[in-house]
Amino acid sequence: MIFISVSTVSEFLCFLVALLCLYKDKAVAWKLFIPFLLLTCVVELIGIYVREFVHIPNYAIYNFYILFECVFTSYFFFYLYKAYQYKLKWLLIWVTLFAVMYIAELLYNNFGNFVSITASVMSVVFVLASLYFYYIKLKDEHFEPLVFSAPFWWVSGTLFFYFGSTVCNNFSKYLAMYEIIAYKYSVRYLIFNLLNIIMYIFWSYAFICRYRQRKSSPLLG
Amino acid sequence: MQISSKEIISLIGLTSIIFLIAPTFLIVYVLSYNRRKKKHQEETMLMQKNYETELLKTQMEVQEQTLKTVAYDLHDNIGQLLSLTTITLSSINLNDSENTAGKIALIEDLTLRSIKEVKALSRLLHGEEIVSRGLKAAIEFELEWLKRSDKFRIIFDHNVTVYNIDSAKETILFRLFQEIINNIIQHAKATEININLQTITDSLRLTISDDGIGFNVDEILNRKAGMGLHNIMKRSAMINGTASIISTPLKGATITINVPYK
Repeated sequence: MIFISVSTVSEFLCFLVALLCLYKDKAVAWKLFIPFLLLTCVVELIGIYVREFVHIPNYAIYNFYILFECVFTSYFFFYLYKAYQYKLKWLLIWVTLFAVMYIAELLYNNFGNFVSITASVMSVVFVLASLYFYYIKLKDEHFEPLVFSAPFWWVSGTLFFYFGSTVCNNFSKYLAMYEIIAYKYSVRYLIFNLLNIIMYIFWSYAFICRYRQRKSSPLLG
Repeated sequence: MQISSKEIISLIGLTSIIFLIAPTFLIVYVLSYNRRKKKHQEETMLMQKNYETELLKTQMEVQEQTLKTVAYDLHDNIGQLLSLTTITLSSINLNDSENTAGKIALIEDLTLRSIKEVKALSRLLHGEEIVSRGLKAAIEFELEWLKRSDKFRIIFDHNVTVYNIDSAKETILFRLFQEIINNIIQHAKATEININLQTITDSLRLTISDDGIGFNVDEILNRKAGMGLHNIMKRSAMINGTASIISTPLKGATITINVPYK
């Protein structure tokens, strides 16, 4: 029962929706959500197992997971921008910058803590990427029914998650030290539960939109 | 005053919630802007449809005008020529050889003139072809018919350099010309019509003036009778042009249409 939490359930349900809606999709970027969400579920379960049964901090698992999170999310943003003549060099510059920050922070922490600064910077970059997507959509003269647009809802879910987590990320060390003393429940845990629910609902809806789009336009798969 | 860790944590929680409100508003804004974009697109499509309908109407009017001209010409020119031929033929007395030669020569002349008229009519019947030869040629062709009536002194000045205008725009402009000329024939009681066609910095300017009885522009525009003038202004605006109507009672009228062709 300990493995069943708001986060694990929402992640698993989103994975199921992705599996059902995207397994026949022709676009690799969309199809990659299936292994990515599967990895997320597995990492979450391992994280709980290590914390509850091995009784050691689980930051190493999340340090490993953040690599996939960053690369996949960045690649997907690039996939969305590609239609608007976005250059590959920006993706490569960002991934290189992320790698440098990640390694530097790992070394600085002596591999003994979560790479929270890198995670914070990554959140800010993803927030900017989401805002840039809205900017492109506002500027685009061509009308697209956004209510049924899969990329729009995926970006919206991503924006909610990374924007909402900015405060928690910035105060992560403070919260880790004092929140259990001050409150019975972890504020960080509650906020991340809420953010996960919002993000995975938006993503699931995006996958459904993508499925509908694929059904109405056979070229997509 | 010292702030307790409990208060700081509450503040962090509250700020996070506030941070969730911002994207909500942003999403609502993007969606409502998108809805407006859709409305704008629908309006543009409607405008395009109206333009196409108006263009079709204009083309039909040009054809109708051509047919009217054909009918008048058949009645007034060819009909008269053939009647005269018939009368001359019936008046031939084969015993009067002196007069017969003269009458046959007259019949030959009448027949040749009839053939010429029929050929001209045939050219006119290709109404759409007229406009495709260019606005200047179409106006010249139309004025040729008007000159035959000998009711007006017509002066056509043109200073048209090479220009590239959409054929739909040209058809509408030609129809405007026809409409203005029709108004002059029907209402102006003019003796002289001046037509000026020129290209001025990326736009085509057509000016038509007459020395007729003129009219009060505001009064006519406010009356139901001003539909023709409203139509001129509406159609000019449709092709991104402007129409200026200047007239004073008893002092003739000048209508200028400016249409950009770039």
